[in-house]
Amino acid sequence: MAQLVNKPKTNLGPGFWPVTIFLAVLAIVSDYYVIVTPISNFLREAAVPANQIDDLFKFLTVVGNAIFIYVVGYVVYFSIAFRRPKNAPANAIGVQIHDQPQLEFWWTLIPTLLIVALAIFSVVIWRGLQQTQGDVLTMEAVGHQFYFEFRYPKLKASVRDEMHIPVNTPITLHVTATDVLHGFWVPEVRVKADMVPGLVNTLRFTPTTIGQYRIICTEYCGSSHGKMIAKLYVDSQQDFGKWFSKQANLAASGGGGATVALTTGQKDKGQVLFGQKCSTCHSVGPYDQIIVGPGLGHLFNDPAHKQLVDGKDVTPENIAYILHNGYQGQLNGHVAVMPSAQANAISNEDIANLTAYLVSLSK
Amino acid sequence: MAVATPRTTAPHAVLDHIHPEPESFVRKYIFSIDHKVIGVQYMIVGLIFFVIAGLLAEVIRVQLLHPDGRFLGGEQYNQVYSMHGSAMVWLVIIPLVTGGFGNFVMPLQIGARDVAFPWLNMASFWMFPPAGLLLFGSFLIGAPDAGWTEYPPISLLGPPGTSMWCAAIFLIGISSTLTGINFLVTILKMRAPGMTFTRMPLFVWAQIATAALSMVATTALAGALAALFIERQFGVPFYDPAKGGSPLLWQHMFWFYSHPAVYIMILPAFGIISEVLPTFARKPIFGYKMIAFSSVAIALLGFMVWAHHMFTSGMVPWLQLPFMILTMIVAIPTGVKIFGWVATLWGGSIHFSAAMLFAVGFIITFTLGGITGVYLAAVPVDLHAHGTYFIVAHFHYVLFGGSVFGIFAGLYYWWPKITGRMMNETLGKWHFWAAFISFNATFLPMHWLGLLGMPRRVSVYDPQFTFWNQFASVSSFVLAASTLLLFYNMANSLARGKKAGPNPWGARTLEWMISSPPPYYNFKKVPAVLALPYDFGNPLPYLGLDNPQAEAATPAQTGEPAAAH
Repeated sequence: MAQLVNKPKTNLGPGFWPVTIFLAVLAIVSDYYVIVTPISNFLREAAVPANQIDDLFKFLTVVGNAIFIYVVGYVVYFSIAFRRPKNAPANAIGVQIHDQPQLEFWWTLIPTLLIVALAIFSVVIWRGLQQTQGDVLTMEAVGHQFYFEFRYPKLKASVRDEMHIPVNTPITLHVTATDVLHGFWVPEVRVKADMVPGLVNTLRFTPTTIGQYRIICTEYCGSSHGKMIAKLYVDSQQDFGKWFSKQANLAASGGGGATVALTTGQKDKGQVLFGQKCSTCHSVGPYDQIIVGPGLGHLFNDPAHKQLVDGKDVTPENIAYILHNGYQGQLNGHVAVMPSAQANAISNEDIANLTAYLVSLSK
Repeated sequence: MAVATPRTTAPHAVLDHIHPEPESFVRKYIFSIDHKVIGVQYMIVGLIFFVIAGLLAEVIRVQLLHPDGRFLGGEQYNQVYSMHGSAMVWLVIIPLVTGGFGNFVMPLQIGARDVAFPWLNMASFWMFPPAGLLLFGSFLIGAPDAGWTEYPPISLLGPPGTSMWCAAIFLIGISSTLTGINFLVTILKMRAPGMTFTRMPLFVWAQIATAALSMVATTALAGALAALFIERQFGVPFYDPAKGGSPLLWQHMFWFYSHPAVYIMILPAFGIISEVLPTFARKPIFGYKMIAFSSVAIALLGFMVWAHHMFTSGMVPWLQLPFMILTMIVAIPTGVKIFGWVATLWGGSIHFSAAMLFAVGFIITFTLGGITGVYLAAVPVDLHAHGTYFIVAHFHYVLFGGSVFGIFAGLYYWWPKITGRMMNETLGKWHFWAAFISFNATFLPMHWLGLLGMPRRVSVYDPQFTFWNQFASVSSFVLAASTLLLFYNMANSLARGKKAGPNPWGARTLEWMISSPPPYYNFKKVPAVLALPYDFGNPLPYLGLDNPQAEAATPAQTGEPAAAH
């Protein structure tokens, strides 16, 4: 009969309480460090939910740190203290204890209470994220492969890869995409939303710190996903006003397609350009050959679609108008996502070439 | 001495009939219906895929040595990490923990001679290598490049191999579903007489929870994959918003499978840890019932939390709250398990074999992965951390520090049972320390890389992140090299390892009561089970063992012979 080398015992061992106290000190000291160190030392807080989200992050870190220290501390302590001595027989057994209902009760109850506290804290901060804060500036961001397009109210043309917002002004940002999924994330604002084609997601924040930040795409969107980065400028009210009126002038000088010299368009150049700029969304087949937008091969001789998407007649001038201004109205029950010339980075000459090409397709 | 007449309630005529062992090489080793052979087949194929997918991981880290990513272009890089993730999840971890360890160990632990449907089991396995060939074969025609999640619409535009990916995952999904059904029936119907639910080893508890998850959840993935395949090949719009489809439909169906899949990957590892810890601490597992039931609780909750992967995707905002709170609740049964494992060490007589080191290392790394999981459950924090390297760090702590460390522990633990030979323990310990340190050095920095602004799935990154990326890359090279120690150890053991004997660790579950490797019929006489296996101070709780000397032959035998009762 084998001998039981370790007689079953019920106390926690001589080192247990000293170790427990040591771990408590370690947890308190490191938690104190967590609490007093502003997260903004590592990553600036540029907008209002950032500070609240950081508070929640700190709460999680304080609790998680203490739990981690205790788990690792006991694992290390037990591993050292209860290691089978070299000279002990191989059949030496440990304390034959199966459970300890009181201990199990407490280590179920305490995490449960912590989870309840965390859930309440999270819901409170979550509610803050949903509040519409007066809606001083409502704007749109649209993700494209591989750039961001920003649209402002009362600004005809959209702005590419640069988002300017006035400081201390609540922003409601509607985001969507034209081609594939993209993400809108400003680490310094701490919030993000996916940009989903055919769906509008909303972010709300109030910028508090003037500066320049990175807008990062966080949903995989293709070969250049990692390079899809735009700039966020949080401007003073004056700077924002200056920037905005400059943009408005630029858009006005573009002039609704009237200045485009359509007669000079070359269809060969247009064809090349179509492959670069348009073919992601438009085929050159019949209307029904839809990629994102309708097929454009029979613009002038399609009996089922005698008008352009904006209800105007099919003329080169009206086509140029859409190319210049984009189209974001209704299309077959969806919001269309045709970008403007500025967003698409095409010049008036390009518009003329593209129009010539489109005209040539129907002949 | 064993009791001559076991107290069994099963009809003797059935139990006494032993099928003859197949004689031909093909029926013995290739198209075998023996669960042990199938288990080993899963392990061999799974480990081969592990090497390939691991090399793909190293390609990722080579690319990220430099912020400009000079090694590969964007397209190739995207294919590499997409294939790394897909292969690790579907060709490595799931097949190893269910098909591999589940097949080999579970029937032995419940005293069965095979699984309930051996032919189905063979069919399940033989879907696995073709699925792997299909998946890796997609490199020939342009591998999928939208990550292992393959979110549409970009996966609709992806390289031709994306359709092959769909077919491969569909196939491995069918295999996984069938294995789930097979194991569920096996555990429900084929336990040895006297093995009530609360006398089942914890690995069996883990497998029954996993089997139910595989059986139910994988069907959702199959539907999603079929739709993606049909849309790509035949243009029937399910997901393309331009044609009236919904990209979020895919996300819901994908995560309805893939969140439970996380538990399919981790619960069997929990099971492995729960076997290794008591064996080497020579102590009963602390809080057996709590650990067993928390497996079931985690499996049930696993079906109700999928949308926490989609907090930024776009859903009715209030819907975030139930998913957030249910996800946080998962932390409670998971915490109970962790505390139970830690308490199992307390007062033990701990022998640090390689298996035990990996089990103890698992507790530490998995705890960290679990804690960061709670961060991500909190919606406001997830809005910051989603889609960044924080996520990459989190799930590698769960899937490498959890599942793969569990697999390593299981390999060291059951290797003598599988092969009849011992591995070199010193080499195994070196493997542990090298892997544990380099694993943490690789993935710990990714937490702050992500929080400070590095998104995932990028082939280039901001130069401010260069140092920690290089640090992670170099550490990952060490991690890969450390795995060579395991493979050398296995080869060395097969060639000249010392004979193991039936029970080298002095363990008490049923698989250790028979010879190593086990005979074709497992148990000539099916033993009766009297109690839980983990009471090291008590006699073995089995009656009617084939080989009562099995116990006496072990160096670490602890109890009295069964005849004393």
